[in-house]
Amino acid sequence: MEPILTVNNVKLSLDEKPILKGVNLIINKGEIHAILGPNGAGKSTLANLIMGIGDLKSPTEGEIIFKDKILNGLEISERAKLGITLAWQEPARFEGITVEEYLKLAGRNNPDLDVEECLKFVGLDSSYLFRYVDDTLSGGERKRVELASILAMKPELAILDEPDSGIDFASMEDIARMLKTMKDRGTTILMITHREEIAEISDRASLMCDGRVIQTGNPKEVGEKFKNMCITCEVKNPQLVGGK
Amino acid sequence: MAIAKNLLNIAKKEFTKIGLPEELFTKNKFNLLVDRNKIVTKYPAPGVRSEVIETPTGVKTKVYIEPGTKLEEPVTLCFGAAGRTDLQTTESEIIVGEGADVKFQVYGAMAEGIKLKHTAKTKIVVEKNAKFVFIDVHYNGENTLVDLETETDAYVGENAYFKSVFKQIKGRAGKVRVNLKARVDRKGVVVFETKMIGKKDDEIKVEDIIYLDGEESRGISKSRIIAVDQAKAEFIGETYGNAPRCRGHIDCSEIIRGKDVVVKAVPVVVVRDETAKVTHEAAIGSIDKKQLETLMARGLTEDEAVDVIVQGMLR
Ligand SMILES: Nc1ncnc2c1ncn2[C@@H]1O[C@H](COP(=O)(O)OP(=O)(O)OP(=O)(O)O)[C@@H](O)[C@H]1O
Ligand SMILES: [Mg+2]
Repeated sequence: MEPILTVNNVKLSLDEKPILKGVNLIINKGEIHAILGPNGAGKSTLANLIMGIGDLKSPTEGEIIFKDKILNGLEISERAKLGITLAWQEPARFEGITVEEYLKLAGRNNPDLDVEECLKFVGLDSSYLFRYVDDTLSGGERKRVELASILAMKPELAILDEPDSGIDFASMEDIARMLKTMKDRGTTILMITHREEIAEISDRASLMCDGRVIQTGNPKEVGEKFKNMCITCEVKNPQLVGGK
Repeated sequence: MAIAKNLLNIAKKEFTKIGLPEELFTKNKFNLLVDRNKIVTKYPAPGVRSEVIETPTGVKTKVYIEPGTKLEEPVTLCFGAAGRTDLQTTESEIIVGEGADVKFQVYGAMAEGIKLKHTAKTKIVVEKNAKFVFIDVHYNGENTLVDLETETDAYVGENAYFKSVFKQIKGRAGKVRVNLKARVDRKGVVVFETKMIGKKDDEIKVEDIIYLDGEESRGISKSRIIAVDQAKAEFIGETYGNAPRCRGHIDCSEIIRGKDVVVKAVPVVVVRDETAKVTHEAAIGSIDKKQLETLMARGLTEDEAVDVIVQGMLR
């Protein structure tokens, strides 16, 4: 197995508060890797740090390596050019940009781009091409368009922050099919989720808790552990419950 | 019908250079094309009676749209300056007869490198049950210095609809004052939309004034202005709710980029009837960070991402 992304003892403090407390994680090329974990575990923070979002360009300690290249300090565009992208938990809205234009921008370096097909894989018909990516799309439609834009871009590594939240995928097969299509087209997927049944359709899974990855391995086992340990643990911490 | 062949060739060369679509010329789209004070082409559109007079500094136009006229294709006009000239003045009067439904597509084109003061005065009457859409798009060169002053005064009759769009599409805006005014009668609707970008030392001032004088009349005043470098931009939107159950809304959003820009937005709402309702939203801020980061995460550079976002807002 060839690693595509290595997170090496990454620590991050924000406003002197430790958020990531020594994350170790290896994502193998070609796999779908799920990250499970309770609210506040640091999943989105890790995702943002890999992409270089906002001020998160370098960890306080440790390093993130993508295909032999240390990402610390790189701009978002530079990371994207290396082949990494991120789909946000809540995607941005754009005035005056159509879905078609949006997908074409994402897929401008993809010679096999077929925007209608990208939409089909996320369950939207081609009439959506002419819609605007603004607040006239419902929350679920907007998230589907975001996933379509990842298919359009065909990156080497896609970080999906809760791709399943807010989307009423008719069946587990729908989301599994979409992820599998991405994977078959050469995209490695790092997927954050709260649903262990989604994690179970991945190749491997990791469990994050309190700023650390505490287990990596078989998705069924990690999912079980999440269900049995974290969920009961959250009930003991009611301020952490919610949002799912 | 009249064509001045050599003038047409010059206009085509100069105006396509600053971005005017070539097919406007190859497909003979212009019902009226004016180069400073010369009529270059003039073709009548069905149901549209017009009189155009050349003046020492521009043209005077009178247009009458016969009642009930319905046109699929827009009436296409271009007021431009293809060569060196100091002053251009245009005066237009447009009467849209009862029940007519027409769209005017107007191009302003100021050739690359010229320095020009342009004043445009337009009077519009949209009669009962008529629908009139007036799209005014401006193309300048990157090195064109325009001092543009446009004043539009409209009356929107009973149950009539009038939409006016003013957009700077290409090149430097220069010094621009856009002044739009409308009085709206019973159940009439007016929509003002202004979209511009100011760069370098451009100065933009947009003023929308809407008087909702008739019962159940409606008005929308929407502006999107982007100021970069040292540009100055100011938007003043005034809506007067003077009649029972009229509705008005002012929506202005200005984006600033660079620390030397000066931007101002002033929505003014006056209501003179207790059943009238006029609302406003005004926002001044920098480009949304999440929009920027999303596009950058798809491989666009920061400048490319800014361009995409700005062009979207100006659409
Ligand atoms: N800029 C910041 N400053 C201080 N604390 C922050 C900042 N950003 C995030 N945090 C904190 O870091 C912790 C991890 O947040 P993060 O969003 O990564 O959690 P998560 O695992 O994605 O949770 P969820 O499942 O709710 O999405 C939280 O306690 C959050 O409050
Ligand atoms: Mg999160």
